[in-house]
Amino acid sequence: MEKMSRVTTALGGSALTGRTMHCHLDAPANAISVCRDAAQVVVAGRSIFKIYAIEDEQFVEKLNLRVGRKPSLNLSCADVVWHQMDENLLATAATNGVVVTWNLGRPSRNKQDQLFTEHKRTVNKVCFHPTEAHVLLSGSQDGFMKCFDLRRKDSVSTFSGQSESVRDVQFSIRDYFTFASTFENGNVQLWDIRRPDRCERMFTAHNGPVFCCDWHPEDRGWLATGGRDKMVKVWDMTTHRAKEVHCVQTIASVARVKWRPECRHHLATCSMMVDHNIYVWDVRRPFVPAAMFEEHRDVTTGIAWRHPHDPSFLLSGSKDSTLCQHLFRDASQPVERANPEGLCYGLFGDLAFAAKESLVSAESGRKPCAGDRRHPIFFKRKLDPAEPFVGLASSALSVFEMEPGSGSMSWFVDTAERYALAGRPLAELCDHNAKVARELGRNQVAQTWTMLRIIYSSPGLASAASLNHSVGKGSSCGLPLMNSFNLKDMAPGLGSETRLDRSKGDTRSDTVLLDSSTTLITNEDNEETEGSDVPADYLLGDVEGEEDELYLLDPEHAHPEEPEYVLPQEAFPLRHEIVDTPPGPEHLQDKADSPHVSGSEADAASLAPVDSSFSLISVSHALYDTRLPPDFFSALVCDMLRFYAEQGDVQMAVSVLIVLGERVRKDIDEQTQEHWYTSYIDLLQRFCLWNVSNQVVKLSTSRAISCLNQASTTLHVNCSHCKRPMSSRGWAVARARGAGGPDGGAELRGGTSGRPQLLRIRAALRLLQTRHPAGPHRQLEVPGSVLPRKAPGLIWGQHGSPEHCQYLLLPESGPALPGVCGSPAASPGPYLPGQRHPVFLWG
Amino acid sequence: MHDAQMDYYGTRLATCSSDRSVKIFDVRNGGQILIADLRGHEGPVWQVAWAHPMYGNILASCSYDRKVIIWKEENGTWEKTHEHTGHDSSVNSVCWAPHDYGLILACGSSDGAISLLTYTGEGQWEVKKINNAHTIGCNAVSWAPAVVPGSLIDQPSGQKPNYIKKFASGGCDNLIKLWKEEEDGQWKEEQKLEAHSDWVRDVAWAPSIGLPTSTIASCSQDGRVFIWTCDDTSGNTWSPKLLHKFNDVVWHVSWSITANILAVSGGDNKVTLWKESVDGQWVCISDVNKGQGSVSASVTEGQQNEQ
Repeated sequence: MEKMSRVTTALGGSALTGRTMHCHLDAPANAISVCRDAAQVVVAGRSIFKIYAIEDEQFVEKLNLRVGRKPSLNLSCADVVWHQMDENLLATAATNGVVVTWNLGRPSRNKQDQLFTEHKRTVNKVCFHPTEAHVLLSGSQDGFMKCFDLRRKDSVSTFSGQSESVRDVQFSIRDYFTFASTFENGNVQLWDIRRPDRCERMFTAHNGPVFCCDWHPEDRGWLATGGRDKMVKVWDMTTHRAKEVHCVQTIASVARVKWRPECRHHLATCSMMVDHNIYVWDVRRPFVPAAMFEEHRDVTTGIAWRHPHDPSFLLSGSKDSTLCQHLFRDASQPVERANPEGLCYGLFGDLAFAAKESLVSAESGRKPCAGDRRHPIFFKRKLDPAEPFVGLASSALSVFEMEPGSGSMSWFVDTAERYALAGRPLAELCDHNAKVARELGRNQVAQTWTMLRIIYSSPGLASAASLNHSVGKGSSCGLPLMNSFNLKDMAPGLGSETRLDRSKGDTRSDTVLLDSSTTLITNEDNEETEGSDVPADYLLGDVEGEEDELYLLDPEHAHPEEPEYVLPQEAFPLRHEIVDTPPGPEHLQDKADSPHVSGSEADAASLAPVDSSFSLISVSHALYDTRLPPDFFSALVCDMLRFYAEQGDVQMAVSVLIVLGERVRKDIDEQTQEHWYTSYIDLLQRFCLWNVSNQVVKLSTSRAISCLNQASTTLHVNCSHCKRPMSSRGWAVARARGAGGPDGGAELRGGTSGRPQLLRIRAALRLLQTRHPAGPHRQLEVPGSVLPRKAPGLIWGQHGSPEHCQYLLLPESGPALPGVCGSPAASPGPYLPGQRHPVFLWG
Repeated sequence: MHDAQMDYYGTRLATCSSDRSVKIFDVRNGGQILIADLRGHEGPVWQVAWAHPMYGNILASCSYDRKVIIWKEENGTWEKTHEHTGHDSSVNSVCWAPHDYGLILACGSSDGAISLLTYTGEGQWEVKKINNAHTIGCNAVSWAPAVVPGSLIDQPSGQKPNYIKKFASGGCDNLIKLWKEEEDGQWKEEQKLEAHSDWVRDVAWAPSIGLPTSTIASCSQDGRVFIWTCDDTSGNTWSPKLLHKFNDVVWHVSWSITANILAVSGGDNKVTLWKESVDGQWVCISDVNKGQGSVSASVTEGQQNEQ
């Protein structure tokens, strides 16, 4: 606080200076009031009644009004008010019901002036008339308000609120004769000072006591009220019926409310319970305070703006026995902390973004670009104009969907569903997966699969049979075509650079291939020049020698320039190490790749992708057989898997791991494998790909993973007709009786009392049986799927009338998924423990 | 509106806003149906978080009213199941721990404390509080993905693996702190990451897919976004890499599911997508500017990068 610099405010000649500061009082304060000179403040409480001068650096005690040897109860103040016209005149409200006026001009030590002992209970509030020097108003717990003329000994008039207790009275600034009073029963009354018989107007302002009110200083007939219901409401009193114009929701009951000078929409509040802070609200922003003062350690009891035309100085007194001056610029601003935007990445690669509508709508005039296939705004929340937000803040929520096939995750789902992971020879699996990847436009993945096939599938049989044919085809027409494909492939990605290269390629077409992937070219280069009838051995030797030259050949196509072709760079970081040993196979592999760069352009018809791969396989097989130990490629493949995993494509890593099985497993540490498996399974489950996920679990070799299937599943069974859950009491566990399920699964007989149910199927092969009192007994099949390693199935059954002959199968953790209801033919797949499962209906 | 979060399956969207409401929309098939309007907060609601569906449909929300409310769907209706009132100031962030740890919620508050609520069954929640986690206030919390120290293989089957629970928090002291649960169940500050020069607005621990390294994205009032990576397994050395310096406050960072794309939203109401290129540089692959612009082209390019 000490570091706060001083602030000077010019106020028509006079100036307010000061800083954020506080001083310790001897006792808790109940109320404070400021002298009209803005240089003195009076603090009143049960055992304190002092005047402090507000100096630049500190508060200085000026006068102690609590005099006399034995303090009377008259000095126990609930409220204090300093006359805004007469610097010597103060009034206090005592807890014993006495209203006291004080004249500071009295020469004696005791400044007490007049004593009005008319109220029977505590006086909660006193208020001077804003323009009349002698008129004082009081409001008491006894339910009465009294108006005093200070020139007379007794009250001039008494107003009965017809209610328990008056919490606040305030003279209107706008109407000379009007004052407002607030009551514990939630009412606000408006009185004409000349008509004590009945109030002019009464309305219920709050739910529960109204603790305070304050007229707007700028004479607009606005009255702010604060209540125990934690709300501040602003009423327009100029209309026939009081109209609520603003409502601020605070987080604690509102004990005091004071409009901020010179700021039309600001008001300060403090609470009498729990919350010690003082808040300044902009009534148009009803939820977040504009400023917050957090100095007090106990409840703030009195707040006052230091000068009626200065918005930056606020004084406060508190039960913590301190008097504070707050500078507005030192306030903490909760709005600063508030986050105006929301952002969330969706599962399918879409992006939700919420922001202030004013900012978003500024854009709405602009037309979407022609090529923009995203659906820009998916819904917009328009606020009801009746809401207090109007014009200030409303939000729009946009959801950006990724273009299919780009950032979106649809490839993941498709790939997961279509990959074949087991049950066929390796070569077929690889081919199949390569095809899937290619169809989804994922060329690199497709190449990888083909490559794997080449590396691992044993020679002979199918590939051997096609060998001759392929080679012939490849040499005659395949290679030239490849070149053209490559050009095409690269054109969109490389742009002008490619075209440049192409012109180079005119003289020697194979340079183009160099562009596409620096390493891939090697063999392509050779083949082009030497032709494919060059013996494999020669090819190898050639490559060995050319290793360095190849890089020199086209140095400007170093990797950084072509980030698109990450494969050569990242997937084979070990290249040079391998080159130290026998370098050939490395290139063979690359070579195997290259046709697929080209072949992947499926529409470029005549050369079928499979053919192109075969043509090269023939070469690689020869090598494989003659030279290499079977695990030669392991390190390479492992690196490749890691590369995929790092790229976020854990799907590829796991799929390859499964397909290759023992061939690579030992080369990757268990922990990594496990991590990949769990990541992939988790992803699959997020996309509700239960079948795939279960297959992966089943095929995994890691014990930790496969035990995922061993845990138990909890089922909830609801009747799909009446949607009522089956009664847990209706179900019983019994021994198997060989029901006719697809897997010889369990037998259930429905029984309901329609009450909430819980069906738990714990261990494997436990069969369930239950009685159905309300109708004919029907079989319920419990799928083996809930049990480990069983075929998928579903549950159906009946309770009551025939329409009730369907059941929903609901696991513990999710609601029904009506979207996935299907016929028995479309079997739902195995269930995983602890997961939400699709619901199947079978009538 | 302050936050919007999709659930685990991407079928529902929860939003929260200043008007004290928390709303849940069904967003399947491109539609949006209001499923629930949850009322219970008494101040602006800053953030919402979905729990893993294995615990049911559970949503946590935190608010200016110093409360954290946990909502649960039972038989199709959403109800308040727990209210946490242990903070002395606005609660700015909530985040559920990875499901492997059980149902644990971390809450960061302006009072500088972070509290951790652990469900102990029977509707009971155990509260642990880290006082003075960040002076002036904590703005964001984010859990580390569940990574098991050592191989699962060594674990006797059936026994719960011994996870090391960690989370990151960002606060008004310009720091990112990493917290780790000690063996005695107490939370201890493990790391202090210093790079930002103003309040840290958001931290996001990247989902760990495929690789064992840890990555955290953080953004700050100072307009900078950092990517923190930790390669060694002990988790002690973190190195920051400046992703970009924006001209305005950066409010949020969010990772894609596969952790290869980072979405960043800033004070200029722009969302940008970033991807790490082969040479380790982060490049902007798109610029989602309030629903308009030529994003598709650049995203397509990004896709090519991937391939």
